[in-house]
Amino acid sequence: MSGSMTTAPERCRWLTTLVLACLLAGCGTKEVIVQSEFPDPVMNRLPLTLGIWYDDAFANHEFFDEASGRAESSWLVNTGQAQVELWQTLLKGMFENVVFMNSKPGPGQMNPVVDAVLLPAVDELQYAIPAHTNVKVYEIWMRYRFHLVTTGGDPIAEWTMPAYGKTPTAFMQSDEGAVRLAAIVALRDAGAHFATTFTRVPQVEAWLNSLPHTGQQQAAP
Amino acid sequence: MKPGRWLVVGMLVPWLTGCVNATVDQMVFNSPTESMGDASVVILGRRHASDYETEPDFIRCVGSHIGARDDSIRIIGELEFLNALYPWFEPRTAPLRPADLEKLLEHRDVAQKFASLQTRYMIWIDGSTVRGESAGSMTCGIGPGGGGCFGFGTWSDDASYEATIWDFTRRAEVGRISATASGQSYMPAVVLPIPIIAPVQGTACDSVGDQLLQFLSSDN
Repeated sequence: MSGSMTTAPERCRWLTTLVLACLLAGCGTKEVIVQSEFPDPVMNRLPLTLGIWYDDAFANHEFFDEASGRAESSWLVNTGQAQVELWQTLLKGMFENVVFMNSKPGPGQMNPVVDAVLLPAVDELQYAIPAHTNVKVYEIWMRYRFHLVTTGGDPIAEWTMPAYGKTPTAFMQSDEGAVRLAAIVALRDAGAHFATTFTRVPQVEAWLNSLPHTGQQQAAP
Repeated sequence: MKPGRWLVVGMLVPWLTGCVNATVDQMVFNSPTESMGDASVVILGRRHASDYETEPDFIRCVGSHIGARDDSIRIIGELEFLNALYPWFEPRTAPLRPADLEKLLEHRDVAQKFASLQTRYMIWIDGSTVRGESAGSMTCGIGPGGGGCFGFGTWSDDASYEATIWDFTRRAEVGRISATASGQSYMPAVVLPIPIIAPVQGTACDSVGDQLLQFLSSDN
């Protein structure tokens, strides 16, 4: 006889375990790791050497929302890897030279010589799913904070920028899959917003005008 | 029931569909006067509304519908186009009027990309399919001896889409098509639920696709 045969009470136990596991699955943490490739931007490059520094909070950015009730799930949305992928691709397409800093810009730090260093950060991330809003779209909203500093760490500009992404409900699509797609749309929106407004940020515009080699060309995007 | 009859029922079930009513309005200002040649068409979804989103599946469906019926029309995939011209056609940056294309083409790299894609028509589709009222109830149970469902459910779906055709070479809107479709789906369940789904979005896709095909093929 086959060793895989089970008795009726045993089958009942397995079935009960399976049903309970299915029910409990709805109460666990829903984890979304956002991964994507992003296209190179189509634009005239600014004649600048830009340094980039990602701190750990940005490069490993994740958002956790604890369930407020028994019927709801907690959410963990990890965007760090996709953030780094997006900004590397975008900035390389926006500036003639992009250099990754060895350390956070500051006095006495040994870093390559660049025109300025950009330090991006995610200030806030919010999400909405149809169960929250009764609207059949999944949404992700982010607010970035950018610091543009000299190699020595002196501030040049500081500004915030929102980004938004949504995706409709679709047949056989899980909540996690839809939130992942909405996050990718939000990241693309962040790239589009940054690329089209960077030279119009008042402090950045003033700084660009003060540079001898960019003063006449900054209207690129 | 004999196994042969079950087989027949099993084969018929996927063919059961609910009824759909569709209405199409077309308003064409300037039909094409010359052949498409090597030029291409891009179909894009409008994604500016806050409470709905034009489904990427619908855009793909319309593109496939046209491509399958006239292989001389070269359709560029939506994502391929968005990636090729990133960041200029994202919801935040996409041109809202044909005149905005002029400003976009001031960027040398963008103009070069457009030239390489040979885009003749840009078709914007705006709309969505929404679930309407639903009624009925269904109970499902599972036990050691097996499981099953009993009950009846019904719901309605409404689709509404509008396609706007821009002539890229003339930087002008040359046509507008709108299609609405509504249908009622049913799900009776006696042990097994039998979905009788009304293909509302598919019907709207066919309606829009047929009208666009008629427009794009009118010069051939």
